[in-house]
Amino acid sequence: MRREIVLEDRHTGNYVAATFLDRIDATYARHADDLWLTFLAAEMAKAQASGSPLRVPEHAHWRWERKVATVGHLLLYPTSAIEYDGDAQGLMLLKTDGEFARSPGQVGRPLVYVVFLASAPWNLPTVVARPRFRGVGTMLLRAAVDTSVDLGFKGRIGLHALRQSEAFYAGIGMTVWDQDPKKENLNYFEMTPEQAAAFLR
Amino acid sequence: MSAKRTMTLNLTEAEMDVLEQLSSEKDMSKTAVLRQALRLYQVITARLRVGEKFFFEDDIAKEKKELVVL
Repeated sequence: MRREIVLEDRHTGNYVAATFLDRIDATYARHADDLWLTFLAAEMAKAQASGSPLRVPEHAHWRWERKVATVGHLLLYPTSAIEYDGDAQGLMLLKTDGEFARSPGQVGRPLVYVVFLASAPWNLPTVVARPRFRGVGTMLLRAAVDTSVDLGFKGRIGLHALRQSEAFYAGIGMTVWDQDPKKENLNYFEMTPEQAAAFLR
Repeated sequence: MSAKRTMTLNLTEAEMDVLEQLSSEKDMSKTAVLRQALRLYQVITARLRVGEKFFFEDDIAKEKKELVVL
């Protein structure tokens, strides 16, 4: 399913009509991989030539085609994309069973787990000096909370954040828990129903 | 969010009792419980279809029981 959303284009200062896609297939994901990797390679080459290498996104090695081809057809694993002018601006893969809350008062209650979430490299300040679209990650995360509400999980979501993204998740009001040795010692972040309600307002 | 379609579901009293119990235990609506069950049933069926097996493991007895799915 596709629905129209609005993105802020920071290059022009205008708001533009974009599309939110519920469910993407492996072909779509491969196109995004190709586009993102090509862009990133060009930026890395430019940065190398200028003598100031860029901070490569920690998720640069993710291959969305593989992820979506493996589980994208299962209801348990919703996928989504934000698209502008035919190009994927951000992608997300969720898991909707088998993950439970750790927050006090919520322990053991089901939540939506954000398995993978990434913005296109041209939207990342670590890659380009002037990122293109603002709010792609926030919109995807909002969709994760919406999914949680829709499934009866009251907005609870959880995720393991890459180091470069920790400030983003803390900034939108998620609680950081401990490092998880089962997940490469990444910090675990969780959003309670109350935090979700505040985030959606 | 995907558009929804509506259906009528007829359950026996015993089935409704189970659904109500799960709904209460999980703090989810009956619709949410059934939608979640469908998600699980799909993933289990998909894994069995490619030759995987579905086990419950008893940590204490160190015993594995295979679950047979329709």
